Amino acid sequence: MQLWKTTYRAAGTESINGLTLRDTLWYLMLAETIMLSKPRVSRTIAESVRDGSIAYLLNKPYNYLLYQVSIGLGDSLTHLIFNIAFGGIVVWLLVGPPPDPHGWPMVLLTMVIAWLLDFCVNALIGLAAFVTEEVSAFEWIYSKFLLLLGGILIPLDFFPTWLRSIAQALPFAYTIYGPARLFVDPEIPRFLSLLFGQISWLCIMGLVVIYMYRRGVTRLSINGG
Amino acid sequence: MRRELTFLTALWKANLLAAMEYRVSFISQVVGMILNDGVYFLFWVIFFDRFQKVRGWGLTDMFVLFGVVATGFGLGVFLFGNVLSLSEIISGGRLDYFLSMPRSVLVHVLASKCVISGLGDATYGVISFLFARQYRVDAILRFLVGSLLSMIIFLSFLVLVQSLSFWMGNSTLLSDQASNAIVTFSLYPITLFDGTAKLLLFTLIPAAFIGAIPAEFIRASDWKQLLWLLLATLIFLTLSIFAFHRGLRRYESGSAIQTQV
Repeated sequence: MQLWKTTYRAAGTESINGLTLRDTLWYLMLAETIMLSKPRVSRTIAESVRDGSIAYLLNKPYNYLLYQVSIGLGDSLTHLIFNIAFGGIVVWLLVGPPPDPHGWPMVLLTMVIAWLLDFCVNALIGLAAFVTEEVSAFEWIYSKFLLLLGGILIPLDFFPTWLRSIAQALPFAYTIYGPARLFVDPEIPRFLSLLFGQISWLCIMGLVVIYMYRRGVTRLSINGG
Repeated sequence: MRRELTFLTALWKANLLAAMEYRVSFISQVVGMILNDGVYFLFWVIFFDRFQKVRGWGLTDMFVLFGVVATGFGLGVFLFGNVLSLSEIISGGRLDYFLSMPRSVLVHVLASKCVISGLGDATYGVISFLFARQYRVDAILRFLVGSLLSMIIFLSFLVLVQSLSFWMGNSTLLSDQASNAIVTFSLYPITLFDGTAKLLLFTLIPAAFIGAIPAEFIRASDWKQLLWLLLATLIFLTLSIFAFHRGLRRYESGSAIQTQV
């Protein structure tokens, strides 16, 4: 916050690339909230693969991935409420009230899809443990891609044009930037375009996760008992 | 002193060999961390491409800042890896093994583990410094001194915070927050902060001594900054050793069976 307040003051302008200081701070609040409310699904899956406990879950009469979705959703919901309340109060005190509440239902829907998209990528990282055992490096790189190309550290609007167009097409932007930008600029065309992009990426990533999961389970080997 | 150094060297060697036992995991963690830091730094590349300078800080300054912080932090957690989990060890009553050995408990417990990814951080720190294009011998020496002092202050601060576990019980959450806060704040230009925030960064969360002050010493060859840095190192090191040993008197064993590998 300090960085952006200083930057706007140094730039000596009300708005930078269409975002005022108020927009930027509310954008960052929602972006951080989404990031901080994510469950650590990749770690849970990787650990259960490594220690073999996945074997006890696979023979239960439910789908292992959907089981992880339900645990993660519950976990995220509690984090989300706390983060949004705390972040909201701080930003409200700093720059005034949040953007138009009429857009909030649209934002909520895109946040749910963003969560599912993130779950798919996290599940893929966790399932990589079937092959590599250690997945920390993938987790770090994914989280940094989210920070940068997802627009948590800096809104994509401030990127050079060529990098912005690449970043906006990637799933990281649909996970963080899209919902956060819609929050400060709740227009129907923006919502529809975001929804289309999110659903497309979700279908692709969902199919890859199912494929990788089936392959991973066939090569699972449990040592000892 | 010499015996302690021989002991430390033997511990580090054993840790490194144990880490390299799993070659793929070792390489993936080191390379992964270099990439991780590099991607994070891209934020500043994009930021300064758009805004050029913020209160006198530009991209070259950030290269030096990231260089010194990453090298100090990386070496710290690689050589003294238990500094991140000291709180858990204390509250779990797992100091018994170290207490039974004829060596300094604090040094022994800290150096008994290495965080492999720290090697990636340290490597990235050196790469970042190279990008700052300060190739003169005196600048390189300043970088080495600055990184070493940064590492000592970082370690001392964490030992100080984690030693609270002797009084508070499990303070893992507090330790995690302190560790995150000091690293996060040390990676921002100090000129962004004014008044109370700046005071906090020099005292309660001494992030300025991990990043901005050593960076200023390296960049501008400002010997006054070195004096501040040495003074801060002395204060935090003394405080951490005092707090740990004072707390050790209150230590209660967990009476658990432990194996040290």
